[in-house]
Amino acid sequence: MTVMDEAARSAVIPRGRPAGRGDGGERSAMSYAFIALYAVLTIAFGILPALYAVYLAFTDGDGRFAGIANFTKVMGDFRFLPAVAHVALYLVMWLVALVVLVSFLAIVVHTVRVRWLSKTLRLVFYLPGALAGASSVLLWLFVLDPTASPVSGLLHLMGFSSFVQVIVPANLPPVFAVIAFWTGAGGWIVIMYGALNNISRDVIEAARIDGASTVQIAWRIQLPLLRKWISYMGIMSLAAGTQLFVEPQLLSQASNAVVPNDYSLNQLAYQYAFQQNDFNGAAAISLLLLVVALALSAVFVTRGGLFERG
Amino acid sequence: MTTVDAGRHARRPSSVSGWSGRTIVAVVVAIFVLFFVIPMVWLLLATTKSAHGLIVDHPFLPGSLGDLAANWDQLFGFQDGAVTAWVGNSALYAVGALIITIIASIPAGYAMALTEFRFRRSLLVLTLIVMLIPNTALVLPIFLELNVVGLIGSPLSVILPMSFFPFGVYLTYIYFSTSVPRDLLAAARLDGCTELQVFTRVALPLAAPVVALVAFFSFVQSWNNFFLPFVMLPSSDGYPVQVGLTSLLASTPAFNPSSAGTQSVQLPTLALATVISVLPVLIVFLFAQRFLVAGMTAGGTKE
Amino acid sequence: MRAIGGASALAIVLTLAGCGGNGGSSVGSYGFPQLTQDDKAPITVWVDSDRSSAVDAFKKANPDVKLNVVTYDGSANGSNSFRTKVQLFDRAGNGWPDVVFSTQNNDAAWASQKSNGKQAFAAVLNSGLVPKTTLDDFTQGSLNPCTVEGKVYCLRNDLSQVVLWYNKTLLDKFGYSVPATWEEYQAIGEKVAKEHPGYIVGAVGDSFASEIYFWSSKCQANDITGPKTVTVNTDSTECKRVASMLDILIKNGTAPNVSVFTPEFVKKYSDKVLLMPGPAWYAGAIFNNPQSLNVAAGQLGVAAPLAWQGDTAVTGNVGGGTWFISSHSKNLKSAEKFVEFVTTADDYQVNLAPGYPAYAPAADKWIKKQESSGYYATDLQALIKAGPQIWSGWGSGVFSQEAIWAKTMTPAIAGGKSLVDLLPEWETAIKNQAQVNGYTVK
Repeated sequence: MTVMDEAARSAVIPRGRPAGRGDGGERSAMSYAFIALYAVLTIAFGILPALYAVYLAFTDGDGRFAGIANFTKVMGDFRFLPAVAHVALYLVMWLVALVVLVSFLAIVVHTVRVRWLSKTLRLVFYLPGALAGASSVLLWLFVLDPTASPVSGLLHLMGFSSFVQVIVPANLPPVFAVIAFWTGAGGWIVIMYGALNNISRDVIEAARIDGASTVQIAWRIQLPLLRKWISYMGIMSLAAGTQLFVEPQLLSQASNAVVPNDYSLNQLAYQYAFQQNDFNGAAAISLLLLVVALALSAVFVTRGGLFERG
Repeated sequence: MTTVDAGRHARRPSSVSGWSGRTIVAVVVAIFVLFFVIPMVWLLLATTKSAHGLIVDHPFLPGSLGDLAANWDQLFGFQDGAVTAWVGNSALYAVGALIITIIASIPAGYAMALTEFRFRRSLLVLTLIVMLIPNTALVLPIFLELNVVGLIGSPLSVILPMSFFPFGVYLTYIYFSTSVPRDLLAAARLDGCTELQVFTRVALPLAAPVVALVAFFSFVQSWNNFFLPFVMLPSSDGYPVQVGLTSLLASTPAFNPSSAGTQSVQLPTLALATVISVLPVLIVFLFAQRFLVAGMTAGGTKE
Repeated sequence: MRAIGGASALAIVLTLAGCGGNGGSSVGSYGFPQLTQDDKAPITVWVDSDRSSAVDAFKKANPDVKLNVVTYDGSANGSNSFRTKVQLFDRAGNGWPDVVFSTQNNDAAWASQKSNGKQAFAAVLNSGLVPKTTLDDFTQGSLNPCTVEGKVYCLRNDLSQVVLWYNKTLLDKFGYSVPATWEEYQAIGEKVAKEHPGYIVGAVGDSFASEIYFWSSKCQANDITGPKTVTVNTDSTECKRVASMLDILIKNGTAPNVSVFTPEFVKKYSDKVLLMPGPAWYAGAIFNNPQSLNVAAGQLGVAAPLAWQGDTAVTGNVGGGTWFISSHSKNLKSAEKFVEFVTTADDYQVNLAPGYPAYAPAADKWIKKQESSGYYATDLQALIKAGPQIWSGWGSGVFSQEAIWAKTMTPAIAGGKSLVDLLPEWETAIKNQAQVNGYTVK
């Protein structure tokens, strides 16, 4: 899923009732009409498939009830724990990099007063996001190969002299974090930029008159006002991070399987479904991922107090 | 005057002095600009080289127009111009999904933000949960569903699932709940407008930015979607660009050793294919830029 | 909550929808359940883009057979698309193509088996569907990847026997003679490192390195003994001798850990390849390819695959595509006609095919054609001789040996570990992968 995708998973909990008057009955009826098409789509392509996935997770290949057999099988797979470790490591790196750097870059872009420069920067940051999956296999095959890369100097400086050295298992979490950041940061910068536009100019002006430096404004005013957005970004990225799939898959293709195709948990689910013809195991892994994502999101939500009004 | 002011650079309590602070920040930003731009520049230059040149020449040396023409010919000669068909298909699916998404998402987001009805909360929470389930688990049931209604192989089998776009609904929801004053709606209701009229005459005209936003994100997501078309479309005539690219990859010896031979696709041709697959998204982005910036939180919330 | 009730009902319908039967099947005369046949029905053919010339050749020779051609990625590079799509069709109960080309040679392992109670996808070919004389004319052993428990499920498109490629000009210049055994090969490797550093005699960075070196040495790393059983033992002399030889050559730089398809290989080793054990298709892929090594005409020679001193001559194999006929096909006659044409007809296999045909009569003619091109420094009879010598002790299982090697061994070698030390790790990795794919490891 794209970064943008997770963007508004956040603002979920609806607000309180508006104090409005009017005929409740008629209003309800029209509301149903408004949501009708979306509700149909949700049921057809969201809820039903999800229920089927749950059904698969608790049955075996012949359709008989299997209790938690699928879960124990999946968790006992020799690739499961390494995949968990991979995803966890990647998640930490990526989350930190994304939250810190995107906030920084967004604020900087925002303070640029020259319009064309600001626009160009936003375009430049967003451009890589347009490259999805298969399109970038070729790109990373070259960029990560010290003998042919545009950044070969940098790679040599880090001690790499061949492609295989760059993609050894120990290096993969930061490599994937870099790739994911490269494609994902731009969209978030654009959103944060819009959020920054939202902060009333008066507040900033007032602070400036009071003698605050730009740094203090950023630190004391802009960032706190962005807190919700930053936390939203964190949650969305958390969800996307647990579902790591695209980056290892494309490097697996680029490297002819030196980067394995069961590196992440989501890839493992894919292998279960299509290599081992075991959709039940795949559904079990997917449910586990769902539970983890929900749990982590809930932590953010409750600790950050993010879903109160506003 | 350009003021590229210090951002979060100084986490230390004391502020950094003007010029050195700005310079450091400018340098950091420049590094990031390079980080984002260098691979793209390389990719563009790669389209103008021969395969041998791509490997041995300096990465930033431009190739020749002749090589670009050769790559172009090879790309559009691949399976007799399949690339144009792919791009056309991608456009069809993306635009089709976009239209349905807009029709479905805007009213739904509006309803969830500004009206009352029984399943409002449940719908929001449910779609959140569904969004968190990995795709792998949902593919098979969707495939079976569409097979039951006989849609496998038709463009609808791709357009319909892609029209389910909860992210767009949330965007609309946030937008309407922050940017449209309820008083306006209450006033309209007092004036005797029906609910439909309130939506079409009051809310919708204010919704232009979010419509553009949802349209853009929907377009990009549909354009970049690989797995759904891969599963749903058995016939190669219907392939969108992302699926077609895998065919192209499979004919490139670097990624598929057994395809080596004089007919095989060369790496610069693949680079050209990549650039072409990305162009429409960039063009749409350029158009939608204005709304992406202004639209998100236009109304102004107060903390 | 009415919505959820309805949802569950629909979910049940979905489940049942996947149980579609096969309609009107009985075990036909060809040894598998057959649908009612219609000799005029169009057949759907799946090929990769490199095989589209085969389709064109067939259309020219048989204009009366109606074809629906679908180009897909040929299941290349681990995409597994062939299997993925067939599984989906199995669950839906319809949609299978009639003929499929796969670039992989291990699809028979799953296509021959029932999956979750559904009929096996591949039609049995040697119970009457394909004439016995045709089957017998395939190079001996070339149909092994297609054969499961005595039944043949696919026809081999091309053969990729491993031979010894060498640069005759360089070899003569340095005064070495063409090695006949692995021991001599190692000796040359050691000499080259001392006398002409920078030149190489092999490469181990490809994912198929195990198929070039270990298969040729009869290492029991992939002994598929049945549809669901495998024996893995890398602790044998056969495996150890290769490992220690390669360790020496990796260390002294004459068999680097680089894949022949990387920019790195082309950059570092153009004009530096002295010897190269490799499959038949190396000629077009690497040597005679302006985008790769671009070896000039008259330099490339081919010799018989290397053998271990005192051991019988066997060799390995890297790839080679396969053609399948669907057991669900309504027009087996046309499907068989197609598959037989593309694997045996001169129109395609001799005139157009880029690889060494698995069908022996076509192979002889193909070799003559290659020899007449004047590119090679020697004749190509070594290829013909090596064809039947592919060791049958290395099977084609559902899991990919290449992926295991790439994942487990290549990074470890890059990290400086010795192959001899890595052998137990390799064995464990293979066993693990086999088990999750449903194999019993003996």
